Amino acid sequence: MKAELADLMISEQEIERLSGCDVGSIFIGGVFGGVYRTSVFQDPQRLMGFCLTEVAVFLLSCVFTLPLGLVTIRNTSSNIGPNAGMVPFLVVVIGSALLLVGAWNGYMAIRRSHFQRLMHLLDEIDRYHDVIQAIAVLDQLDSASGLPANQPSSLHNRAEVLEALRLTRDSLIASLMTERILRESRGLLARRQELLASIETNLTTVRALEMKHQANEYGQFLNDALEIGMRVQREMQQML
Amino acid sequence: MNYFSTVISLLRDRNEFLEEIHNGVKLKSKISALMISSFCFFAVYGAIIGTFHSPLQAASSAIKLPALYLITLLVCLPTLYIFNVLFGAKQTITQHFTYLLTAVSVIALLLCGFAPVTLFFLITVNDYSFFLLLNVIIFTLTGILGVSFLYQIMRPVADGENGQGVKVRTSILRFWLCLYGFVGSQLGWTLRPFFGSPGQFELFRPREGSFFSGVWNALINLLS
Repeated sequence: MKAELADLMISEQEIERLSGCDVGSIFIGGVFGGVYRTSVFQDPQRLMGFCLTEVAVFLLSCVFTLPLGLVTIRNTSSNIGPNAGMVPFLVVVIGSALLLVGAWNGYMAIRRSHFQRLMHLLDEIDRYHDVIQAIAVLDQLDSASGLPANQPSSLHNRAEVLEALRLTRDSLIASLMTERILRESRGLLARRQELLASIETNLTTVRALEMKHQANEYGQFLNDALEIGMRVQREMQQML
Repeated sequence: MNYFSTVISLLRDRNEFLEEIHNGVKLKSKISALMISSFCFFAVYGAIIGTFHSPLQAASSAIKLPALYLITLLVCLPTLYIFNVLFGAKQTITQHFTYLLTAVSVIALLLCGFAPVTLFFLITVNDYSFFLLLNVIIFTLTGILGVSFLYQIMRPVADGENGQGVKVRTSILRFWLCLYGFVGSQLGWTLRPFFGSPGQFELFRPREGSFFSGVWNALINLLS
């Protein structure tokens, strides 16, 4: 990936710094004490990861409920045989583990409303990264086809596409900051109008670029950038 | 599922990892990842040693071995935290927990490193006492390495505070490591069998004796 595209990416560290949360592909805020992202259900690979985490948490719960089972078996087993208390042991351990997993999922379901906006913004950031990846692939195809340096690349209005992406990046960052302020303070702060105005200005510029290049084959990238920008603006308006 | 990458980052750049814990960076994620990955490593080794007896024993040991280490850690954590705070430590209980989980994850990884050796002897030797002693040696070795790792990472450093508090906390840590070993060995004795002696499958054995008397008996059986 070229340096200019790499600079446009919003790194995981930056997202975490701006949002104030540990952000992963499946969970926000870690497995314990965090919440799962809604988008895990749209991607089979992430869904598989989520299901495996559920299994791991269940088994881990069995580990921590083992002493309960041990107490049960010590109290109930008599001289009938060495494994006489196995059934009550399993009932207590598995039952308690299921209760713990249920409580964990319930806690996440309650907490999810708190992170709903952040989840939407993170999904938009994923889409934004997909667009950058698509441009990087185009660049690779250009270099593989051996285009001379002086010949225009297949992305001949590249500067404007990159400008649109830069504006989208700024909007996303502003949204992450606003979301964090609102999430943490639960109130309206003086900067909200300024941030919203910045997003609206960026969006207008992207829309102008999109109109200019609607006819050519690169309109798609601008369209994507515009769509992300509009979603971000919608989220912001809902937040405010 | 990037839980294992946290352990890899611990191995690759230990100092940065420990610095992050010291600064309280991403502790929740670290705890989740270390807990899940150490559970998986212990479960794999537990399943291998349980296979010596039967599949049922393998399943039982796959839960019991992680329980041994993780419950011991939870049992001993409050003692370490309260005593450290009493003598001037500024770290939170979450940081203490993350440090301890880091050491436990190192033990889990070391055990997984021994897994092929254990598997080799499991296939080639059919002697319960030998297998038991081999594993006592492996558990002792990994335990000593893990505990010395914990001692290195948790040893108090005088950050502009008086030397007396640091000295006391170093002594507390030494005492705590002995306590950890003592609680761990007794919990291991309570949760046995992990290997399953020849005969019928047993979920737990009746309460009798202690860990040290059990090792002594196994040595005598091997030599006689």
